[in-house]
Order: sequence, then C-alpha cells, then structure tokens
Amino acid sequence: MGISKSYEEINQKIRDGDVVVVTAEEIVELVREKGEEKVVKEVDVVTTGTFGAMCSSGAWLNFGHSDPPIKMQRVWLNDVEAYTGVAAVDAYIGATQLSETQGMEYGGGHVIEDFVRGKEVELRATAYGTDCYPRREVEASITIHDVNQAVLCNPRNAYQRYMAATNSRNETIYTYMGTLLPNYGNVTFSGAGVLSPLHKDPNYETIGVGTRIFLGGAQGYIAWEGTQHNPTKALGTIMVIGDLKEMNSRYLRGCTINRYGTSLYVGLGIPIPILNEKIVRTAAASEDQIKTQLIDYGVPRRDRPVLRDITYAELRSGNAEVNGKEVPVSPLSSFKMAREIAGKLKKWIEGGEFFLSSPVELLPRDTVFKPMKQAAEVPLVKDVMTKPAITAAPEDRIPGAAKLLAERAFNHLPIVDKRGKLLGIVTSWDLAVALGTGKRKLSEIMTKKVIIVAEDEPVDIAARKLEQHNISGLPVIDADKVVKGIITSGDISKLIGRRLK
Amino acid sequence: MNIKILLKYAGEALDKPILSEVIRKTSADINILHAEIDSRKGEILIGVEGPPAEIDKVVKLFEESGVEAEKLEHVVTLDSDVCMDCGACVSLCPTGALSIEEDYSVKLDEDKCILCEVCVPACPVRAIKVKRP
Repeated sequence: MGISKSYEEINQKIRDGDVVVVTAEEIVELVREKGEEKVVKEVDVVTTGTFGAMCSSGAWLNFGHSDPPIKMQRVWLNDVEAYTGVAAVDAYIGATQLSETQGMEYGGGHVIEDFVRGKEVELRATAYGTDCYPRREVEASITIHDVNQAVLCNPRNAYQRYMAATNSRNETIYTYMGTLLPNYGNVTFSGAGVLSPLHKDPNYETIGVGTRIFLGGAQGYIAWEGTQHNPTKALGTIMVIGDLKEMNSRYLRGCTINRYGTSLYVGLGIPIPILNEKIVRTAAASEDQIKTQLIDYGVPRRDRPVLRDITYAELRSGNAEVNGKEVPVSPLSSFKMAREIAGKLKKWIEGGEFFLSSPVELLPRDTVFKPMKQAAEVPLVKDVMTKPAITAAPEDRIPGAAKLLAERAFNHLPIVDKRGKLLGIVTSWDLAVALGTGKRKLSEIMTKKVIIVAEDEPVDIAARKLEQHNISGLPVIDADKVVKGIITSGDISKLIGRRLK
Repeated sequence: MNIKILLKYAGEALDKPILSEVIRKTSADINILHAEIDSRKGEILIGVEGPPAEIDKVVKLFEESGVEAEKLEHVVTLDSDVCMDCGACVSLCPTGALSIEEDYSVKLDEDKCILCEVCVPACPVRAIKVKRP
C-alpha cells in the first residue's frame, strides 16, 4: 500500500522548515529518475504557475461616499466604464471594457494595472439623484489607497489547457488568439503546459473551493468553479478572488490584443499537495502527454473545424506542422513568467510564508459547457441571397453586359466558366469605367480576387465581409466553387426589415 | 557588420541609377528594406552587410552622388522592462529577428529586422518600438 499524507502534516513540515517543494516542471524529471513511489515519500508539494491573458477578470471597488452622497448610476475610471448596477458606490471594473476616448489602446485591464501600480485614476460618475442620494455627478482623482476595498475577482481563470489556433483564410485575421497569418501561416497557443495549474491535478483531487493560491503576486483563493468549467473535456476553469491592494503589477498586466480588444494578463499559481501516488502521477505529466487541438479560427462559427490533435511539446518547440508545412508558433502566455510564479510560490512555501489550505469543497468533475439557447436559428446566406445569380462568361462583350445589368438593375456580375465555377467579378462601376476605353471582353476588366461567401454560412458572416471590404455584394458559392447566387447589402437590409416586423 | 542606412533622394539624384553604381563599386551586400519614391523626392532604407570600412565607403559613395545617407542605429527596440516574454510576436516575424531563447525570454536581433513593423501592434504591452527618422 502506498503512502498517504495529510494537509496538516504538510503544513507542520512548512512550520518546521523541512518541507520539500518542487515545481511542476521539476517533478517530471524527478519521477522519471526515481519513480512515483519514491517521489511521493520525498516530495510534499508541487507548485504550478501560469501567466496569460485572462479576459474574464476584473475587480470590485468600493469608493466610499461623497458629500453630498451619490448613488452612482454610471461610473468611469480613466474613461473606462465600470459596472455599478449594485449598491451606491460599489463597482466592478472588467478587463475587456474599452476606454471611451482611447478605444482598444486602453481598457479595464489597464485600469487594474494602474491601480496596482499606485497611479492616480480619474473617477467620474453620474446619477439620477434620490432623496437619500441627491448628488448627480461626481469627479475625483483616486488611487488604490483611497478606495475601501479593491478585490480582484475573476470569474474564469487558469484554463486547464486551451485550443491552439491557425487560419485557413487567405487574409490575416485578428482574434483573441492573436494575429493569425493567411493560409495557415502561423499557429498560436495559450496555457502553461507542463506548469498548467489545473492540468497538474486534472481530477480535482486537491483543488477546490477555498484552495489558497498565488494570485497576482499575493495570496488569493479559489472561490468557485470557473464559468464554462468543463472538466469532462479537460477544459476546467476556476473563479478566483484576492486582495488587489496586496498585488504586484509584475503579475497583473493590462494588454491590447490587436484589433480584438483589451484584456488582463494574470499571474496565477496553485500548490498541489502530494497526498498520495495518484496525485504524483498526474502532477508529473510532461508536455508530450498534454494534448490540445489545433483549430481553424478562419471559420468564425461556434464549432470551428479541428485540424488535428497537437501536444504542448510540439507547440513549445517553436514550429508546428500544418497541412504538411512547418509553420512558426507563438505562445501567447509567457512560459518564463509561469516558471517565475511556480518558483516564487515554491520559495514562499519553503520560507514558511505560505501554508496549504484544505479545500472546503472539491470542484465538480462532471459538468459540461453548453452552447447558448438561441431563440431562433440564425438565417444562412442561402436563405437570404438572390438566386439564381445572373452570370456571364469571360469572353462575353462589355456593352452587352452593361445593358444586362442596367435592365435588371443589378450591380454585380460574377464571371463563370462553362461549369458555372467562379472566375471573377465585374461590377456596374467596372463597366462604366470600361466603356469607351476600347476594351472589349469581360475577362479584360474582371476582378480575379473575389471576396466570396459560402451558401451555408450565417448571414452575419456575409454582413461582416461586406463591411470589412467596403463592398456591396458577394457571390455565393458551393463547395465546388459553383456560383449559387449573390448576397447584397440590400438583401441583408430586407432581412433586418423582416426581423423588425 | 550589418547596418541600416536611410537614403534621402531629391532633385537630380532621382533620375540617376545611383544605387546600382554604388553596388558595382562595393563588396558590401545591399538589401532594400523599404522604399518610397515619387517624382520629387524619395527615401530608401537599405541594410548593408560588410566590413566597417566598406560600410563607410557605401555612405561616402551615396553622399558623393548627392544622396543624403544616414546610418541608423536602434531604430527598432524591444523594451525588456515592458516585455512580458509572452512570444505573441515571434511567429509573425518574417525574418526570425524575434525569437524565444533557451530561458524562454523573447529576444530581438536588430540586424535581422527589416522594419516591416508587423510585430508592433501585435505586442500586447507595446514593448516593441520603431523610430523612423
């Protein structure tokens, strides 16, 4: 029978100064060398760490009362709105809320970092005024020392692992997984892999409500399972809480994800007590055993295509194979910082500054993450498009095409081959410009790089493409590139008209 | 030695094949990194690789032909106090100028940088700066 230890025994060792702590990276080698049985006897705690953008983060603040007092209806901190739909002077500043003056350059994450740095933050609040709270406006310059409570309270942090991202489209896309180059040009991933806190105790044998953790450079706690906690798919998350006043801006960094928005890099580490052999086994998982999926973010749907399984070891190597080609990989979370956090937590425990807490409740192991219950199915492009599209052949003459578009009051003429496959597009503007230039055939004036949409994509995707490329119509194609119709901004306006009725 | 030189063309210099003349007269390798030229003036950013004496010769040759040539140093910088070593930039860099080191810190090799600036907005904490003269 194997050895088993209790939280109290480990805490006593911390008090006595003879606790043995290793990081989640070090234990991999140690178990390989000595075996689980020996390690469970020798090691008491394994420390983990992660440092990545965690959008579901924010802080509760209590500003205290002004005189005369105000019941804040809306409040801004450095022009970033905080949620104050609670009591008079409580507010929640969320990491992804954007500045009303600086847009994506500054957001809630930056406000939190500025508070932690001790900087002055401009507070502005408005209200409707009541008998007890007559004031309608207040402005003040405050620091973290001026507020009563500043509590970091993040509903979803420390994803056990995360999907790796790439992009099949022929254009660069800007996502919460960073900038994704065209034609599978790069891969990005997130998560600390071998140091990932939740992946080192994937069965939640030790991690639960009340577990004391490293949070933003201070001691914090796990408050609950995180939102979207999905342990059955190895996508567990935690809700965490801690005193912002104690935290360190080295481990809480406001950030801008290019053309996506703002967020907060959160430094978080969990100590895993080595209570028995089973816990050693999972804590000693190496990066070639930690798998995730490589996902095509070029498809903007809830269920994006999975290209293949991929290990953190491959991602960490700096290159990954996508469709037979080696492409560069960007980690979005800092492994260097994750290491620092696991190391710091180790030092705290060894130095008797940090004691383990036995969880009050373990986290659920069987919940799943459900999709949104939608009132109506989103209409697809094929439901809205104009069909069949009037098309022409590349050898057709320009004057004839101009006449056709004028008669039918169309502006877009897809050019197709004999089987109906898309070759290019000619717009009424192209025709107007071409008349009188001596050009004769449509092939001479057609645009060959055509922005298209597939017939079974949601209308929202067509609308986004029209807006992004500043165009008014898109040919709709099937899987064989055969033109099935045209969707125009007019078709989409009509749809919205119907929805409003 | 590898250095970037900003060439400023104006007036008569615009009509002459100065760059090819310089290339013929030097053993240094010249790489055009960025160019903007219209009918009145032009700017070309070149990377020059060769021994220091040869680089000085390149500068001299341009200046003798009426092109202003300015050696640029530290045009692109990675502020290590600001950088979190996340690595978001590394897969976007077309030349490998940004890389992850053994100890997982992010490193910038200025010599390899062609100033495409793709990394600049992709850095979540704005640690990479390009200062064009």
